[in-house]
Amino acid sequence: MENSELDRIQNQLEKRGYVTDASIVMSVFLSTTLHKPLLLEGPAGVGKTEVAKVMAAAMDTDLIRLQCYEGLDVNTALYEWNYQHQLLHIKLGEQSGKSVAQKETEIFGEAFLLKRPLLAAITHCRPPVLLIDELDRADEEFESFLLEILSDWQVSIPEIGTISATHIPSVVVTSNRTRELSDAVRRRCLYLWIEYPSLEKELAIVRSKVPGIDERLGTQICQFMRRLRELKLGKSPGVAETLDWAMALVALHRTALDLETIEETLGLVCKNRDDIAAIRLKFLPELVDAVTAEAG
Amino acid sequence: MDVFTTEHTELSANLVSFCRLLRRHGLAVGVGEQAETLRALEAAGVTNPARFRLVLRTMLAKSVREQKILDGLFDSYWRNAHAAGNDDTAESTLPPIAETPTGPLEVPQNRPIASLTDWVDEAEESGEEGMAAYSAAEVLSRKDFSSFSADEMYQVAGLVNTIAQALATRISRRYRQNTRRGRLDFRGTFRRNLRRGGEIVELIHRNRKLLKLNLVLLIDVSQSMDYYNRFLVQFIFAFQNAYRRIESFVFSTSLHRVTDILKKDNFNDVLEALSDRVPDWSGGTRIGSSLQAFLDRYGDDRLNQKTIVLILSDGWDTGEIERLEDAMRTIQHKAASIIWLNPLSGSAGYEPTCRGMEAALPYVDIFASAHNLESLRALARHLARVQIRRR
Repeated sequence: MENSELDRIQNQLEKRGYVTDASIVMSVFLSTTLHKPLLLEGPAGVGKTEVAKVMAAAMDTDLIRLQCYEGLDVNTALYEWNYQHQLLHIKLGEQSGKSVAQKETEIFGEAFLLKRPLLAAITHCRPPVLLIDELDRADEEFESFLLEILSDWQVSIPEIGTISATHIPSVVVTSNRTRELSDAVRRRCLYLWIEYPSLEKELAIVRSKVPGIDERLGTQICQFMRRLRELKLGKSPGVAETLDWAMALVALHRTALDLETIEETLGLVCKNRDDIAAIRLKFLPELVDAVTAEAG
Repeated sequence: MDVFTTEHTELSANLVSFCRLLRRHGLAVGVGEQAETLRALEAAGVTNPARFRLVLRTMLAKSVREQKILDGLFDSYWRNAHAAGNDDTAESTLPPIAETPTGPLEVPQNRPIASLTDWVDEAEESGEEGMAAYSAAEVLSRKDFSSFSADEMYQVAGLVNTIAQALATRISRRYRQNTRRGRLDFRGTFRRNLRRGGEIVELIHRNRKLLKLNLVLLIDVSQSMDYYNRFLVQFIFAFQNAYRRIESFVFSTSLHRVTDILKKDNFNDVLEALSDRVPDWSGGTRIGSSLQAFLDRYGDDRLNQKTIVLILSDGWDTGEIERLEDAMRTIQHKAASIIWLNPLSGSAGYEPTCRGMEAALPYVDIFASAHNLESLRALARHLARVQIRRR
């Protein structure tokens, strides 16, 4: 029972520059096969959002993204009436002699409906990938509302009636764990924890995203990052920082890490004043020695 | 005999039994999850133990903690399954779900499952202490933290978690009680004026607005607080897990930010990381200079009129009292409110006479005790009482 679908997903992800592993492939496969949302958790900057993007690319469909933030409400997530247009429409039709009831049916038609991400996703012309990004930032109330949508796949709008999903989207939910998501959300989703990549995996990511990088420099950068993460800083650098740094160093025509280069570009790696100070004062010389010794 | 059916039944039986085991360890695995997992196994195709485990983990574990539990149980479960049945097929750790069976299965049909069930039942019995803990809760609530035995400490940890969660829910539901008019509600306004043919006559405002509080916790971990620290840290750990707008700091002779440390899954990891980060744990106290250090480094970012500062300390300051007074004055000025919890103030006849406490008290909005669980519960009421000053 070799599963060709798993291989296909793996190929698709890799073709789009996403360096993957068995658990990510399995999660994406089961999520699309069983139509269950996929909940991704992990430290910031390990490529959670990227999973949704490559998923959409691999499935050759669109990505609809809902960025969560505190105070996110139904009007921003689901739908809103285009009030300005409605008002104009009424003004323009003042002389038409239509009854109030007629006007009302007109202005509460689909033409005046602004579809926000959730409604857009369920009424899309083909099943899209719906990315609900950083759900932990939204309020608990929004979480319950989201659960309702994710189980019924329909939305009721008082003025129009119930709109059912034309297609069920593949849903990816991400969380940075600034708070715990409710058990109800967890139960509904498949869970995937994405950890910082291993040295080999990170190096592969660097090679694929920064083509032409010097082999030794690439290795040194990844080793340096791995050690930085072990230091338990206030905010550990993610893969995004690794890539930024690698690109910057390539642009600066560096072929190896040295103390001076790191000092100059540390701001690309660490974005927290306390952390930078701690690295400069305590760890830097030691880190440079270790990394240069390891990578030769 | 139909080989496939046998295989399938075996697989389901094993899955059911394994799910039961997971439930015993606190994973919420219902019949629905079981059925779905079976579908997932069919869809993915089970060719080797690694993939089998991966499917189970993807389907059944809902957090990193659960993933670890599942991984641990998976190993011991299939080792048990193996020991119970297949004495002569030692090459595979996979139970009878191998993909190309050669003829009828050799495994005795009932034995492996039966003995596994025994094993699961055994594992089950360890969960029975829950009832006893419940009846003891009342007594524990009133007992001073410093007089707990090691056994009681364990039970108290659970209660502390519950209280912290209730507290977090309570403050996250605060509404602004504000008679001032809120934002213009476009939707409401439009609906209301529709009957006038779209002429805007009446404006509707949105009044009720959620107000989220920020909390800054400053916790004294000096020698004189030793008895209370384990509980307070446990409390803060649980609190911070449930309510995200908390910044936590500990101090004795110097100040350390510990917000990130408390974000770990496991409380023992937290304790370990804390003792790594805080070298002067259980040392002397310099409250004044610690608070000053807090203001210098974090005061501008962390303090505003939506922030409540919660200080947990007995007020024994061995440093200069003037510094403490200065720091308290600045904090009072910048923050919405200061709550001071003092574990000693629970003892009968306690008067805040030590110099540090005396100096700080004029700037404190709410002064309360924190010596037992009852007083932690009361904290919810204190937080609800805090009025946000508006300028």
